[in-house]
Amino acid sequence: MATFYDQVREMGLKQATIAKTDEVVERMTSGLNTNDIRSALRGDAPRRPNPRLRPHADGFWFHIRPSFYHNEVTRIYPTFRLGWLSTFMLVWETITGIFLMIFYTPRPGTAYSDIWNILTNVPLGELMRDLHRLGAEIMVLVVALHMLRTFITGSYKYPRQFTWLTGMLLLVLTLVLSFSGYLLPWDQLAYWAVTVAVSAVEASPPADIVGKNLNLIVRGAPTFGPGGLLRWYLLHVLVLPLLAGVFFFVHYYKVVLHGHSLPPGREKIGEDTAKRVPKTDRTYFIPDLFTSELMWTALATLLLIVGALWFYSAPLESQANPLDTPLHVVAPWYLAWSQGWLKLADKVLIAFIFIPALAVAFFVMPYIEVGKSRRYADRRVGLSVSMLFIAFMLVSNWMGSPEYRVESSPDQEVFQELLPQEGHSIMLSVPYEALELGTFGPGEEVPGNPELTVALEEFEAAMNRHSCNVNGDRWKDECKPILDDEGNVERYANTFAAEAMPDAEAQLVIEQVQHNMKQLTLQARAEDPESGDALVDTNKIAFRHIDSRYEVE
Amino acid sequence: MQVKVVIGTIAFMLVMIILGVAALFEPAELAEKTDALLGRQIEKGAALFSASCVECHGVEGKAQKCVDFAGEEKGCVGLPLNHAPLLCGEPSERLLQVGWESSKAHFINQTIAAGRTGTLMPVWSESFGGPLGDHEVEQLTNFVLNWGEDPALCGEDVVVEIVEWPESWEDLPEGDAANGPDLYQSNGCNACHGDPAGDPALAVVGPWLGNIGNDAGDRVPGQSAEQYIYESILNPDAFIAAECPNGPCAEPSVMRKDYGNVLSEQDMADLIAYYLTLQSE
Repeated sequence: MATFYDQVREMGLKQATIAKTDEVVERMTSGLNTNDIRSALRGDAPRRPNPRLRPHADGFWFHIRPSFYHNEVTRIYPTFRLGWLSTFMLVWETITGIFLMIFYTPRPGTAYSDIWNILTNVPLGELMRDLHRLGAEIMVLVVALHMLRTFITGSYKYPRQFTWLTGMLLLVLTLVLSFSGYLLPWDQLAYWAVTVAVSAVEASPPADIVGKNLNLIVRGAPTFGPGGLLRWYLLHVLVLPLLAGVFFFVHYYKVVLHGHSLPPGREKIGEDTAKRVPKTDRTYFIPDLFTSELMWTALATLLLIVGALWFYSAPLESQANPLDTPLHVVAPWYLAWSQGWLKLADKVLIAFIFIPALAVAFFVMPYIEVGKSRRYADRRVGLSVSMLFIAFMLVSNWMGSPEYRVESSPDQEVFQELLPQEGHSIMLSVPYEALELGTFGPGEEVPGNPELTVALEEFEAAMNRHSCNVNGDRWKDECKPILDDEGNVERYANTFAAEAMPDAEAQLVIEQVQHNMKQLTLQARAEDPESGDALVDTNKIAFRHIDSRYEVE
Repeated sequence: MQVKVVIGTIAFMLVMIILGVAALFEPAELAEKTDALLGRQIEKGAALFSASCVECHGVEGKAQKCVDFAGEEKGCVGLPLNHAPLLCGEPSERLLQVGWESSKAHFINQTIAAGRTGTLMPVWSESFGGPLGDHEVEQLTNFVLNWGEDPALCGEDVVVEIVEWPESWEDLPEGDAANGPDLYQSNGCNACHGDPAGDPALAVVGPWLGNIGNDAGDRVPGQSAEQYIYESILNPDAFIAAECPNGPCAEPSVMRKDYGNVLSEQDMADLIAYYLTLQSE
């Protein structure tokens, strides 16, 4: 073959460079030269033999992708792009995760400060962390919806049972991946959510042999510490991604092998024509689906970045403190159902019988449910059961949420609403300058200070929810004493709370403690209306530094 | 086809523009977040301080207004922390006195972490068997250092005006030695001079005063015991005692110079009367 030098002598520099470029492009794309790419982008018909099929035959990246799809499966329905989106999220999480790995060491002494270092010292570090965390939550949602879609369109049926099984495995892996990352920031949220969630492990019967040892394996010690953190880190960055990668390829191989199932009404019952696509019904991967995927990649990236920059902020609480349990510990929303179930039955029953049985049922479902028809009208029972199951999961999730919780004492609930130990606080979000020094009652209007006034309105609202009257105000009709068996007043209750403060007095005191820091004290007092004894006499203190920026969270 | 290319291109360009704009604002954003992190550490330090430190160092860190766990006021046995000689300048006066060669922050951090041998200051860091994590010691350190950021404490134009007192003690009202112990505690004398009725080893900075009733008259030739005590409280540099617990006393004295602003005439008289009763030999 002629060398580049020979070509220059023969054709001149310009022509030789064009020819060489063309050759390089053709090699890189395994068969498409610049003209082929142009014509594909223009939407022209391909030349013969079709060069657009060659990347699928000769190239590495495209060899696993089918060279054409049935027209019917390239529209939004029936796939809703959910499988593609799941894959996109997996890649997305890998990229953002590797970025975060660079700045993170899995040790209790440094993990938490590493996260703060990412937030305060790494350019765009907070964005990366938000993208990773937001991506993780979206990935759970997308994978779950993908499974739901597959069920509803009946795509799990013969011959795709094994694809469903690997998909179930990927769903479980997604949940565990997402949850294993939860512990890594080593803050209170992480520590306690994971501690509560794995506490079921300890109860695994027989508890003194299996439970004890399982607990040691999962936590690395009787309680979480350096060993446990390292284990969960390795699970999160090594074991689970490897497993997810392997099963992703098994899953996708099966998808390609059997072809995308057509919409349920398109075929005769019991027939599967996905692999026999008539020439007239083909949409070629290059250029149509490839450009489509590039477009969706750009759009999804845009949406995630906009979401992470302006609408989502990954939470970070105080450093984990094994001696200090926060008031309301909750599991992440995608596992809240399990926390809901724990309120229904014994945790051994839930964690070791019900959940595994349910998982097995899902895994083997396509081998048991062998009805031939994929049409909606023929699957009324199955679809109804699935809708009931979704309703059940939503109710379970609500039962596991902070909305449905064991109430603490009324004064602590008020403090929790206004000045919680962790997370967004109504009082601390008032700008530093607006925190005038002085003593303020709930609902008090502070002239010329709308921010503090709004916070005090919230204070009044919270007091109203948890007391019968506030600062001598009218006793509310719905508030009534609850009597015990002997007819004595046990507690007071109103419409909102099972326990309410009678004759409550409350105030907010704002003091200067250092030249650039103020102290906020919420005080609550309640007296027994009959005896005049103090039932409640507590306060809650928080500090607010001029720079701490709670107002922008 | 072309629509897809256009949408994809626009979306990609928007991503690049948004990232570019975000990157443009990032240095300022990072600086603000760094300040916010420090602010939150100081807040956490304040909570720790009011839980664990006010009993000896006082609610304002001035070795005054010390309160115990039940909220009762009591005598202060700790040194003042909200205190110019400790916090102003790098190195501050205190660092020079003790010959500390590292930073002020490190000095405070290490003192909290490891405690101070021979005093009531306990060990706080987990590393040495105390109750707090190293990050909490750091939060406390930042809280203490934050007093030094106050221009009213360390600003260049801060001049503490000392009220003029008469030269001689003789115009003071009649002193009552019975009030002495309370004044000795509430003014933080014990923080440096220890307990006059107790172990001399607890005096860690200034001389132990358990025998001052005998010694005062002999320190300066021609000066009465009352006049010596009076002058030493108002102007610690007038005469420097020879022996302090850790070797010769520092010159100039490290004792606070503003007791003239803190004490009333009656307090002064009571303290003098009390000191004269302190005779151990």
